[in-house]
Amino acid sequence: MIEVQHLTKRYGPFTAVDDVSFRAERGEILGLLGPNGAGKTTTMRVLTGYMPATEGTATVAGYDVFTKPLEAKRKTGYLPETPPLYPDMTVREYLTFVAKLKLPATVSKTERVSRVNGVMAKTHIVDMANRHCSKLSKGYKQRVGLAQALIHEPEVLILDEPTAGLDPKQIIEVRDLIRSLAGDHTVVLSTHILPEVSQTCHRVVIINRGRVVAVDTPDNLTRQLKGSATLYVQVDAGGTDAAPALSALPGVRQVSELDRHEQMVGFEIAADMDRDIRRDVARLVVGSGWGLLELRPLRLSLEDIFLQLTTDESQTQPPMAGAPPDAGPASPFDGAQGDAADAASESEATPNA
Amino acid sequence: MRNVMTIAGKELRGFFASPMGWIVMGLFALLFGYFFLAHLDYFVTSSMQAQQGGGPVNVNQAMIRPLLQNVALINLFLLPMITMRAYAEEKRSGTIELLLTSPVTDTQIILGKFLGVLGFYAALLGVTMIYIGILFVFGNPEMRPVVTGYLGLLLMGGCFLAVGLFISSTTKNQVVAGAATFVTFLLLWIISWLGQSAGPTAARVLDYLSIVWHFDDFGKGVIDTKHVIYYLSFITFGLFLTLKSVDTERWRG
Repeated sequence: MIEVQHLTKRYGPFTAVDDVSFRAERGEILGLLGPNGAGKTTTMRVLTGYMPATEGTATVAGYDVFTKPLEAKRKTGYLPETPPLYPDMTVREYLTFVAKLKLPATVSKTERVSRVNGVMAKTHIVDMANRHCSKLSKGYKQRVGLAQALIHEPEVLILDEPTAGLDPKQIIEVRDLIRSLAGDHTVVLSTHILPEVSQTCHRVVIINRGRVVAVDTPDNLTRQLKGSATLYVQVDAGGTDAAPALSALPGVRQVSELDRHEQMVGFEIAADMDRDIRRDVARLVVGSGWGLLELRPLRLSLEDIFLQLTTDESQTQPPMAGAPPDAGPASPFDGAQGDAADAASESEATPNA
Repeated sequence: MRNVMTIAGKELRGFFASPMGWIVMGLFALLFGYFFLAHLDYFVTSSMQAQQGGGPVNVNQAMIRPLLQNVALINLFLLPMITMRAYAEEKRSGTIELLLTSPVTDTQIILGKFLGVLGFYAALLGVTMIYIGILFVFGNPEMRPVVTGYLGLLLMGGCFLAVGLFISSTTKNQVVAGAATFVTFLLLWIISWLGQSAGPTAARVLDYLSIVWHFDDFGKGVIDTKHVIYYLSFITFGLFLTLKSVDTERWRG
C-alpha cells in the first residue's frame, strides 16, 4: 500500500532523511519511531506530496507521489503535527471546506453533508460542530484534524504525532480511534513515545538521524534484543543485605541494588535466559524472613532497545542502573513531564548516584 | 475550476468572518467618503462660478474621473492589508500543509486565492458605487466613463493584488509581507517620476511601466487594448511568480 524506496531528502548541506526504505501493507498500522529531529516529519511530508524527495521514490496506493501527485493525494489523509485548522471557521464549515477540496466533483451535496456528519460522529466532535476552531481545546483540535484526514475515506492515513500534547485520557481515546481505523485504512503514524508504538502499531520503523536502524514488530524487537532474563525483587528493611545471598542462587549472573528507602530495598537480578529463577528467589526471600514486597520480571522494554539501537556508536554510555526500569509510560523521550518525573524518582531512589 | 472556486470562497469568507475584512472595508469607505466630499465641494464651487460666466462643468470630467483616480491612492495603502495574510498566514498557522496535500494543483490554489482577494476588492469597489449612485440620483452623469473607470480600477487593483500575493508567498511574516507590498506598490506608482529627467524615450518606457499611468484612459471612458493587455500580462506575471515561489518553497522545504 505504501512503498518507500531509498528516500533521501537534503536541505542544502543537511541530510534530513538518508536512504530510507520501508513498506506498509494494507490494513496495517506502521509506527515511525525516533527521537525529535530524526526525519519522521520529513518522511511523512514526502509521502503526502507536501515536498518532493531529493532522491528515491515513494508510492502510495500504487501512485508515485511525485509523478502522480493528485491521484496519490486523493488516496491519502494527512494529519500534520499541528492540525491545519482555520481559526475563523466553525468545525462544520471547516470540514465542509475540506470535503469540497478533497472529494471528487461528482460527489453530490447531500453525500458531502453526510460525509461531514459521518466523520464528526466517528471522531466524537458532533457537539463542537458549530464552535469556532480557534475556541477548541487541544484535544478537540486534534480530533478535528483527524476528521479532516478521514473525510475522503482515504486508503492511507498519515498521522504526524497524533497524540502529542494531549492529556492521558485523550491519548487513550485517540489511540483507540486509530486502532479502530486500521482494518479499512493503512496507517502510518510517527511518534517519539515508545509505549505508543507497542500499544498501537503492528510494525515499527525506528529512525535515527535520518536512517532506518530497525524494522520489525514490537514483539520481535523486544525478543531479539533481549540478552538475559531480568527480575525485579523488592523486600522490606530486613533484607538490606540480601544481595550476596541472591547472587549465590544458581543461575544468577548479577545482582544490583536499584532503589533503597527506609522501609524497603529493591534489587535487579539478571539470570540465564533459559532458567526461571522466580521460585528460588521467592523461597530464599521468604525463608530468610525478609518480607517480600514485590517480585516481577523485567522485560527489556522498547525503550532499552531504542537506546541500544540509537546509541550504538557511543559505547561509553553509562549503564542505566539508576533509572527505575520499565517505569511505565514515562520514557526519556516523553517530553517535559516524563523527564521531570524520571528525574525526581531517580534522585529519590539513588542518593549515591 | 470547482477547486478554484472552493478556495476563492474560503478566502472571501475569511475576510468577512474576521473583523479585519470589515475594518478594511470601513476604512476604505471612510477615505472614499472623504474624497467624495472634497471633490463634491470643489465641484459645487466651480459649477457656481460657471453659472456666473465661464464654460459649463461636466460632472464626469470634474468629479467622477479624479475621484476614481483617487481610489488608486487608497489601494496603495489598503490592498497590502488584503494580500499580506493570503499566504503568510497559511504558512504561519500550518494550514498550507492542508492545501498542499489536498488533491488540488498549485495553480488552482493560487487562482483561488487571487479570485478570493479580487472578490473582496470588488466588494470594496461596490461600496464606492453607493457614492457614485448619489451622483446619478441628483445629477446626470454619463454612464460610460463610470463603467470603464470601474473596469480600470478592477484591473489595476488586480495587478496590485497579484504582486501582493507573490510577496505574501515569500514570507511567513504578515508584517514583512505588508510592508514589502506597500513599498513595491509605491515604487510601481512613482516609477515614472524618473522619466522626466531621463530623456523622452526613457520617459515613455517608465510611463509605460507605471501601473497608474495606464488607468488614465479608463477614466476618460476609453478602453484601449494596450492598457488591458498591460494589466492582464502584469497580473499573469504576478501569479506566475507566485506559482514559482510556492514551488521553490516546496523544494527547499
